[in-house]
Amino acid sequence: MTAILRLESRKRVRGSVVLIAVFAVLSALYFSMFPGIQEEMDVFEDAFPEYMFDMFGIEQLHTIEGFIAAEIYSFFWSLLLAIYFAYVGAGLIASDVQDRKMDLTLSNPVSRESVVLQKVAALWVPVVALNVGVPIIVYVGALVIGESFNPVALAMVHLLSIPYLLVCAGIGLVLSVVVDHVRRARATALTLVFVLWLVDSVSRVDPDYEWIGTLTPSRYYEETDILVHEEYAFLDAGLLLAVFLVLIVVATVVFTRRDI
Amino acid sequence: MCAQTETAEIDSDRDATTIRLDDLTKRYGNVTANDAVSFSVDAGEIFGYLGPNGAGKTTTIRLLLGLIKPTAGTADVLGADITDRRALTEVKADIGYLPDSLGFEERLTGQQVLDYFARMRGDERRAELLELFHPPLEKPVETYSHGNKRMLGIVQAFMHDPELVILDEPTSGLDPLKQDRLHAFLEDERDAGKTIFFSSHVLSEVQRVCDRVGIIRDGGLVALEDIDDLLERGGKDVRVHLAEPVDEKRFTTPAMIDVETVDRTVRFTYTGEANALLGHLVRFDVEDVEIADPQLDDIFKHYYGDSTPGETG
Repeated sequence: MTAILRLESRKRVRGSVVLIAVFAVLSALYFSMFPGIQEEMDVFEDAFPEYMFDMFGIEQLHTIEGFIAAEIYSFFWSLLLAIYFAYVGAGLIASDVQDRKMDLTLSNPVSRESVVLQKVAALWVPVVALNVGVPIIVYVGALVIGESFNPVALAMVHLLSIPYLLVCAGIGLVLSVVVDHVRRARATALTLVFVLWLVDSVSRVDPDYEWIGTLTPSRYYEETDILVHEEYAFLDAGLLLAVFLVLIVVATVVFTRRDI
Repeated sequence: MCAQTETAEIDSDRDATTIRLDDLTKRYGNVTANDAVSFSVDAGEIFGYLGPNGAGKTTTIRLLLGLIKPTAGTADVLGADITDRRALTEVKADIGYLPDSLGFEERLTGQQVLDYFARMRGDERRAELLELFHPPLEKPVETYSHGNKRMLGIVQAFMHDPELVILDEPTSGLDPLKQDRLHAFLEDERDAGKTIFFSSHVLSEVQRVCDRVGIIRDGGLVALEDIDDLLERGGKDVRVHLAEPVDEKRFTTPAMIDVETVDRTVRFTYTGEANALLGHLVRFDVEDVEIADPQLDDIFKHYYGDSTPGETG
């Protein structure tokens, strides 16, 4: 019984291709900038107040790893892609319930648990496509401008981002089974993920308040630590994965009990 | 209502009753969408579920499919209790469903939609059905007209050769020719032993194809009748325009009820046979005549009263 998985996977292709294209354009932009501004980065680092760097976890801007961590991973990957996953997650159930597709789906010999799991499993498409496509683009991009990236660190910044992105999708999924209107589910999910990211970022500025960020998923995915310091927090990733599984269980339990 | 003898073999017991509702109730806050509805649908019959829009027909269907949970009461479908999710999911392999509003994946073509359902429950009768009902399979569903969507829905509901097919307003959007084709198809299916649950707000089509009918109004079952009884009660709305004013007493026959005469026009509900009516009318100088199906609400008022619904029949 993989009909739903096949259909849902197919629906994720277009978005994934578009996002890879967006990251290709962004990478081209930043890689073309880097040789020209590398020298001035020290000045740049002095010119901006410290909290800006704390907020975004920026370090070592004059190295290609630090630069790419700051420009591509700390914003576009950790925030925009997270929002995309939350958006997709929020649409998984609510959109089918709203336009009555779920009535037809559930008239088949398929359990509600299976519907949820197959829809979640279809997230393999953006997860794999982006985490294979984008590192290749970044790696090749660095070579083109005569720099080189540590391939292990690059692979890790992607691998360890997967649980983080899945948690964001899980937040969307829970809202998708709770909220009936797909637009409200999506808006709530992406606002929530954005606010969580913001809380994490802002709380880093003052060490006294840094603990507040421990409840946000982005605290457990540190792109700069991975790329610049080659520190791989597997335990944090495992924690995120566990949270993702809990969110799936919650969503499934709610969905099997509710009227549609 | 429909007592089954305990001595009957389990198989034949299950065969005899395809759907059984037992005080099935669904409330949304203060609104009672289904109020203690009880009836049975036997195997091999076309059961009409008749009621005006908003009476609670779709609610009953969605309860039977486990899409919503009953507030009280219960029901069995193909031997599975609707509150037993696992059992109900299993028997859905033998159920076909045509919802009133069809939610297909709009970007897929008709072909892809059928492939999708085929993967979940089979499609051994797809080719045969597509000879009767032919939506433009190569086009995306988002370009479909109402009628084409309905045809695609009919094909997916029957293509896995289910024992029970639940149809919610199946003819809406179909042109008269396709409606006739569907009616004939349903009769063939019934003769082949299939059970059809046919929900509609159109009295005439229920009279035409159904063997028995349950009438629902304001969430409550008001009548459960053989179709012959309903035919007697149904009647036609007739409006006769005469060349000159006529004496109402001379014109009226016992089969006419609710007669209203305004100048040269007489309106009434005719409960007798068509031949008798036509034979009667030729004795007058008739300029024009209209014979139409009565409004369902009018029939309810005539036969089941305007107040508290109670079960008859």
